[in-house]
Amino acid sequence: MPALDDRAWSPYLAGALLGLLQIPAFLLIGTALGASSSFVTVAASLAAWVDPAIQQIDYAAKHLSGAKNWWQVALVVGIALGAFLSARLSGTLRRGIAPVWVRALGTKSPATRFLLAFSGGFLMLAGARIADGCTSGHGLSGMAQLAIGSFVAIAATFAGGIAMAHLLRRV
Amino acid sequence: MSVTFAVFVGLAMGVVFGFLLEKSRVFEPAVILGQLQLRNFLMLKIFLAGVAAGLVVLGTLVAAGLTGLHPKAAIWSADIVGGLILGAGIALAGACPGTTLAQIGAGYKDAWFTLAGGLLGALTFTYLEPTLRPVLLTGGAGKLTLDALLGVPFPWLAFGAAALIAAGLVALERWRPWREEVGANADGLLPPPDGASGTAPATAPSRA
Repeated sequence: MPALDDRAWSPYLAGALLGLLQIPAFLLIGTALGASSSFVTVAASLAAWVDPAIQQIDYAAKHLSGAKNWWQVALVVGIALGAFLSARLSGTLRRGIAPVWVRALGTKSPATRFLLAFSGGFLMLAGARIADGCTSGHGLSGMAQLAIGSFVAIAATFAGGIAMAHLLRRV
Repeated sequence: MSVTFAVFVGLAMGVVFGFLLEKSRVFEPAVILGQLQLRNFLMLKIFLAGVAAGLVVLGTLVAAGLTGLHPKAAIWSADIVGGLILGAGIALAGACPGTTLAQIGAGYKDAWFTLAGGLLGALTFTYLEPTLRPVLLTGGAGKLTLDALLGVPFPWLAFGAAALIAAGLVALERWRPWREEVGANADGLLPPPDGASGTAPATAPSRA
């Protein structure tokens, strides 16, 4: 039986339980699981402090208010809390940078890693917003709804990811 | 639906989401990068199990008349270009948008830079969206789904697809048992591949 202080659960069990989160998403909120549009809600809210004109952009206005947008922001904040809780219970809290990056980048320099993480984050959200979804919205949710656009987006995501990953050193 | 209710539900769901991302190990950069280098298949297992469960859940809810679906519109250029850029970003970040937050919760420092880059990426897109819309974000097939395309009721196709995925996962597990992919430190880091370029640390990473 999986215990709360286990370091790892079966990927099939954990994955299936992730899929069950669609029940409250559809029945309580009337939407599918997703993560990346919360970045627009937060970024546009912060930007509105220095550039109130951003609210004139339809895309920003659509993400700035409303229960579903703030539901998703709360969801990703909850993700950080839940991951902390799980790691705390199993004694797997992390510090610094994952050891895999020394292998993948061939350097221990934190500055190199931070720069790459920042660039990766930028591309990730730019791409997710162009495609209108990420691994959660197109992946978990779009594929579970048999949406053709999500199949195409996820195929492209894996293609882009595999190509870029092969430019790094083998881990 | 009030914003307060939505935020409360979101927080509660997020805690479960993050807990499962951590327990499944899919938030680990070595799991994500290992998957994209086709060395570690944990991510695919978790992802496909999540899709299969989602198919069963949504097939059931739709058959019971409890909900409609919310598929995204298929816009070929946006899906392909956006997907390629998203994938490249995932490889460099060693994270996807949701798991970035799980990495922060678990304690990885570089994930804060991924988050900052992500916010800037989302903001840049927001400013460019009116310009990009006519070029990249229009056309396509609308909210096209496989069941509509084939003329089969959604629940039956969803259950069938879930069964196919389950069979695929059984085969995947026989080929690559998941316990061997978790790694000694539960971070998905496997022993260095043969012919590695000599930069890999020989010692096991210390427990944080």
